Amino acid sequence: MEGIADYLDSLIGGIDLTFYSIAIGGLLWGWLILKPWEDETRFNNALLEKTVALIQFGSKALIFTQLSKIGLKIWLMSVTLGKSPFPAFFHTVQFNAGIARAASAAVLFYYVKTALSKHLRSEQRWLTANAILLPLVVSAAWLVHGASRLEDRGLLMSITVIHQIAAAAWVGGIFQLLAIWRLKKRNLVGVELWPVVLKRFSVLGVGAVVVLLLTGTPLAWYYIRTFQGFIGAGYGNLLMVKIMMMGLALGFAWLNRQAVVEFFESRSLYTLTAKVPYYIEAETLVLLTILFTAASLASQPPSMDIPSLTATWQEVLGMFEPRLPRYTSPSHEALLAGEPGRVAIVGQVPSEAATAWSDYNHNISGIFLTTMSFFAMLSYSARFHRWARFWPVGFMLLGVFLFFRSDAETWPLGPIGFWDSTFNNGEVLQHRIATFLVFGLGWMEIKARIAKEPGMLPFVFPLLAAFGGMMLLAHSHVGFEPKTAFLIQVGHTLMGVFSLILACGRWLELKLDAPGKNIAGFISVFALFQIGIVLMFYREPLY
Amino acid sequence: MRLISKLVFVLSLITSCGVHAHAVVTHNSLALKPVPVNQASQVELSFNSKVELDLSEIHLVSAGDKMQVIEAVPGDKPGKVLLNLPALMPGEYAIKLKVFAADGHLSEDLLRFFVKQPQ
Repeated sequence: MEGIADYLDSLIGGIDLTFYSIAIGGLLWGWLILKPWEDETRFNNALLEKTVALIQFGSKALIFTQLSKIGLKIWLMSVTLGKSPFPAFFHTVQFNAGIARAASAAVLFYYVKTALSKHLRSEQRWLTANAILLPLVVSAAWLVHGASRLEDRGLLMSITVIHQIAAAAWVGGIFQLLAIWRLKKRNLVGVELWPVVLKRFSVLGVGAVVVLLLTGTPLAWYYIRTFQGFIGAGYGNLLMVKIMMMGLALGFAWLNRQAVVEFFESRSLYTLTAKVPYYIEAETLVLLTILFTAASLASQPPSMDIPSLTATWQEVLGMFEPRLPRYTSPSHEALLAGEPGRVAIVGQVPSEAATAWSDYNHNISGIFLTTMSFFAMLSYSARFHRWARFWPVGFMLLGVFLFFRSDAETWPLGPIGFWDSTFNNGEVLQHRIATFLVFGLGWMEIKARIAKEPGMLPFVFPLLAAFGGMMLLAHSHVGFEPKTAFLIQVGHTLMGVFSLILACGRWLELKLDAPGKNIAGFISVFALFQIGIVLMFYREPLY
Repeated sequence: MRLISKLVFVLSLITSCGVHAHAVVTHNSLALKPVPVNQASQVELSFNSKVELDLSEIHLVSAGDKMQVIEAVPGDKPGKVLLNLPALMPGEYAIKLKVFAADGHLSEDLLRFFVKQPQ
């Protein structure tokens, strides 16, 4: 069960940040954006109730997430160390700060449920609720990366917490906007409110971005220090991915802001109602991915701590160098023969067969995807649409291919049983999930494309693609060779970013009118093509 | 939207966010002070973060990946750890660490070294 414990322990950080953002961002939203005590006629009770319900949900979920984090940590230590972690665990910062954080979230939840929700327009109640955030934020400070540092601990903890609050203001605000849009669709709030809240939020959003940059820059400098650390280590690489995704999120934010400015000049609601809500939905996908990447970043050793283990920029670029894809595979026997030496700790012998096996898997997957993207492009033409629209069948075939090839040492090709390998190895578990996702992606997308009334089914594809992207960003070949692991990671993270672009493009293609939908659709297919290209030229380092 | 929300929830449960190590060894005494032959010795490690030794496990790995638990005691500064190695024959060895960092990450690290007869 070590694999599952390890896996769950690592994923819970992103979930935790999401609920933290919903709770804190929601309170800041109510306090700084809505200010319901100022004008009693502007925001109706339905809107305020929804706002507070989201805060309540976020704080309640945070209690459970935080307690689950502690439980998972205990489980992970028990299965990894093979002994009970008690009583030592009771004396750790993790336990004490974790319990304090859960307790603070519980106090917040109780206050929001019993006091704020019953006096939605009371400035005093909103102020008190925001004041209750303080112990929550302080206890959270003891759980961030900086808390374990040996130098400048207080400074790093403070900057990180301010960074988190700025991110929470942005993410929590986006969730509030989505909630208001749903209320508007159900005619529970008037359409005239939509530009008002968007305009107010854009000010808070700009402030949040400024704080994110002001706090993120010194943190990046502290933990990375050199260009090589930025280019050639896992920490720097994930930060680069975060910056790229931040650019994407800012792009959507800019489109929204432009739409608001245009509205107050032209008074036309078209862009604000026919485009902006969908930009916000896509922005949400990007922001959630950023939160999961941030959690992943916090578990990487800072680049400054591993200067002798970072790759050069030439080695990084070499991972993307165009080459003829490998189209022949070593035999299964040759692969297994090299495995004991490859995984040995003492007397390790790099396995050429294992590297070739992995290259073949990646390169053939790349050929699958580039071919599929070609047919996807053809499907936009009326002439070829009839048969080219079945291009997602490729995902199902790819799923079957991956099932047999991903983990050769496990069932059905290898000696290790299916359940044994799935539950005791985090990497195998990730591969199994990825395989299932890829197959499911193809199956659902085909169903969505042939059904006369597919309902919500077409939206499954972009959601699965977005979560597939998250998995790629988190994909980890954990081992004791940080440089090798990083060189493998660097290709996967780039594909993760393209998966997110693929997801956002497809989402907007489904939601927008022409010509926006066509542009988004093309970007989506182009991102699929790029993933294929990265995979086709993939070469695993020999280890 | 209900289908989407449920899907988001389920998928959020199956996405991962990496399991790399956080606590890593930034300096060790192995390079400056090689392990002597057939003589008990001590290795000094410096970590990049505080570690909880009571929740950590350190093994000496010898040929054939044979594991042997070794004693670890805190050094004179936070982040410093002293390992007591038994007398070792010439050959290749490794120190395998499972360390609980103060920020809550259970990290693994590996230090390979050789025990050589003095020239």
